[in-house]
Amino acid sequence: MSLELINSPILALVQDKGRFSYTSIGVTNSGVMDEYAYLIANKLLGNEHNTNIIEIAFSNIIFKATKNTMIVITGAKCEFFINEKVLNTWQTHNVKAGDIIKIGKILSGSRVYLGVYRGFNIEKEFTSNSTTLKENLGGLNGDKLQKGDILDFNSFTNSSFVRLKEKYIPNYEEELNLRVVLSYQEDFFKENQIDKFFSNTYTVTNEFNRMGCKLDGKEISCDIDGIISEGIAFGAIQIPKDGKPIILLKDRQTIGGYPKIGSVLSIDCFKLSQCKPLQKVKFIPITLEEAQKKVKLFYSSFRT
Amino acid sequence: MQFKIASVDSLIIYFGNEISQDVSTKVKKAFKSISALKDEALIEIIPSYNSIFITYDIFTYNFNTLKEKIESSITLDILEKIEEKIVTIDVYYGSEVGFDLEDISKKTSLSISEIISIHSNKLYDVYAIGFLPGFAYLGNVDKRIAMSRLSSPRKIIPKGSLAIADTQSAIYPQNSPGGWNIIGKTAMKLFDKKLATLSPLSVGNKVNFNPITKEEFLKQGGIL
Repeated sequence: MSLELINSPILALVQDKGRFSYTSIGVTNSGVMDEYAYLIANKLLGNEHNTNIIEIAFSNIIFKATKNTMIVITGAKCEFFINEKVLNTWQTHNVKAGDIIKIGKILSGSRVYLGVYRGFNIEKEFTSNSTTLKENLGGLNGDKLQKGDILDFNSFTNSSFVRLKEKYIPNYEEELNLRVVLSYQEDFFKENQIDKFFSNTYTVTNEFNRMGCKLDGKEISCDIDGIISEGIAFGAIQIPKDGKPIILLKDRQTIGGYPKIGSVLSIDCFKLSQCKPLQKVKFIPITLEEAQKKVKLFYSSFRT
Repeated sequence: MQFKIASVDSLIIYFGNEISQDVSTKVKKAFKSISALKDEALIEIIPSYNSIFITYDIFTYNFNTLKEKIESSITLDILEKIEEKIVTIDVYYGSEVGFDLEDISKKTSLSISEIISIHSNKLYDVYAIGFLPGFAYLGNVDKRIAMSRLSSPRKIIPKGSLAIADTQSAIYPQNSPGGWNIIGKTAMKLFDKKLATLSPLSVGNKVNFNPITKEEFLKQGGIL
């Protein structure tokens, strides 16, 4: 016994960086929605970068620790308590056997990450602990976490703590700029449609889950209705017949037949993953060369 | 071969603009040679009807260096034969599990046994896998029994159901909503985590359907 779940959360999933190399048979990548919050959590804990974590959406989750460890909460701003004492997120905390860890309401952002020192001892399924509900893979028996679940870890006793500098803690309420590399079927969108796409503001709708995010705003029209099904990138922007963009995220289908105008930078999709319905986003064009520089810079800061 | 950017860390290669065996053969050959590179910087390789999508490590490649690498490592010799594994799938084509057989029979003026014989007397190509894990798009279905999708999709199509949509055929690897015409059912698992490869099918395989009786289907663990 290590961490016992004592309530029934709406959606808490064990995740890691994702499950790779099975997309050719239709298995999605899965993985944490917000890699920034995830990588910071593991960095603060001194963990390997692919260590598993719990991703909590809609909040309200209570655990009882039955061994000593060190934990950290990152991601969405939330009420966080150990034994009813309010504590800071983005900072490690030493937990003793018997402590009650509670995450209450989410205050801004939409996904909270709870990591422990060296991660949970869960056998990987096809190279990953990432849970994909529709595939029944990963996590504990391919399912979301339920009341009574026990997540084992190795006991660890520590007295110091590590905190993230304030300036690195994201503000999830700002209007978000999503940088886009034009790609795929870009040639089937007329210039005035591409202008429209980049000059208007879009609104996040409630059709938003781990598979993708549907936006509302000015309709974009494409010269073609559909394409022959092809591989879909993380962040790809589909334009279905209704003209409202859909950005495809971690649990996306591996192939699909809607035209795509381009793809949002992976590192911006992490920020999008913390958006709430009605939040505003804007698309900004970026060249592939510049985009690769930005993404390399992001990951370089986590390479040790 | 036409290379296009897909995203910050992926590209897509097109081998033609239509669904055809010729184009599919090119895809299969290229997929085979790209996979044979066993290059860890190629993170995902997704073959489909007329394209191959690749996610790559941007610390190793950029668009141009990867394009050059691929161009120099694949040959698309049309005459060269490729070995294709044939997977035989036992199917019970009974009306209790083939919900749309009668309807297809009415629309085509073919008897149910003719439909079964037309469908099962053919070797199908696996063109692509997607929609659901292990959901293989098989082609081509004989034009005489090609059927457009149902006007309103079913809420649940049972796992193992064999289906037709236009000139394609597929088996639902799990219970799922869907709009394809159902003509039979198999007890074979098309996606199962107990299988070492997760799915018995991959792009480049050929599929052969073997009609079996209700008794055999039940003996194989099939559920009506």
